[in-house]
Amino acid sequence: MTGSYVHWGVLQISVTNLVIILVMIAVFVLAIALPFPSAVADDEERERP
Amino acid sequence: MTSIASRTAAGENDRPGRNNWTTWLRTRLGRTVPPGQLLPDRQPVYVSSWIYVFGALTLAALVVVLGSGAVLALGGATWWHTSSTGHFVNSLHLWSVELFFAFMVIHLWGKFFMAAWRGKRALTWITGVVAFLGSIGTAFTGYLTQSNFDSQWISTQAKDGLNSVGIGAWFNVLDPGQMLMWHIVLLPTVVGIIVVLHVILVRRHGVVPPIDAETEPAPDDLGSSS
Repeated sequence: MTGSYVHWGVLQISVTNLVIILVMIAVFVLAIALPFPSAVADDEERERP
Repeated sequence: MTSIASRTAAGENDRPGRNNWTTWLRTRLGRTVPPGQLLPDRQPVYVSSWIYVFGALTLAALVVVLGSGAVLALGGATWWHTSSTGHFVNSLHLWSVELFFAFMVIHLWGKFFMAAWRGKRALTWITGVVAFLGSIGTAFTGYLTQSNFDSQWISTQAKDGLNSVGIGAWFNVLDPGQMLMWHIVLLPTVVGIIVVLHVILVRRHGVVPPIDAETEPAPDDLGSSS
């Protein structure tokens, strides 16, 4: 069974590999953007009088 | 002749000679990683980010890779091709490798964009690069070790590719026995040693601070900053 491929000029990549790369980029962005749980807890603890 | 009792009383055993290799090794290991930093329980406050988790995730995936690989070695090719348990362990080995590479590449992206080679961490960066390249070689020989039509196809493509760049005479990717040995003995040993060196260097120099951090905390300050 042949897979689906995306063609862009001389570049060719399977849809599966493209999806995996896009998911990895999404995980990378989320890892930077989402707050780390202990950091949230520490901040709340610090704000407490 | 001096008695053992008098030599003990004189404290001779407390002052081992310079030629004592255990003393040399203990001193050398003590200098390699600052005291308390080999397995620290506190980290600088900037480490409280998900991006710093991916190095540990890569190591965790590597442990599963090595463990599942060891079980596959016990059963052998006929077991992982015919037994449902063998299929499961085979898949566990494959998907832990997939996660290993995904985590490692995200770890690489994070360290690249924070210029993690700063602060005398060049060797840490270089050992990471070598571990990455070694892992790719180990994964490629894993493809050749499947012992199915896929591995036959990949080996012929690899043979043409390697011959075209002039390194085909050093090893034969069409030799399943040689590639199996490379995959389960030579390359995991090399990757394992480099990974241990990489982790020791991370512990020696500490986790790299963000680029906009004004000063780097000294190893002694790490415990009080989180």
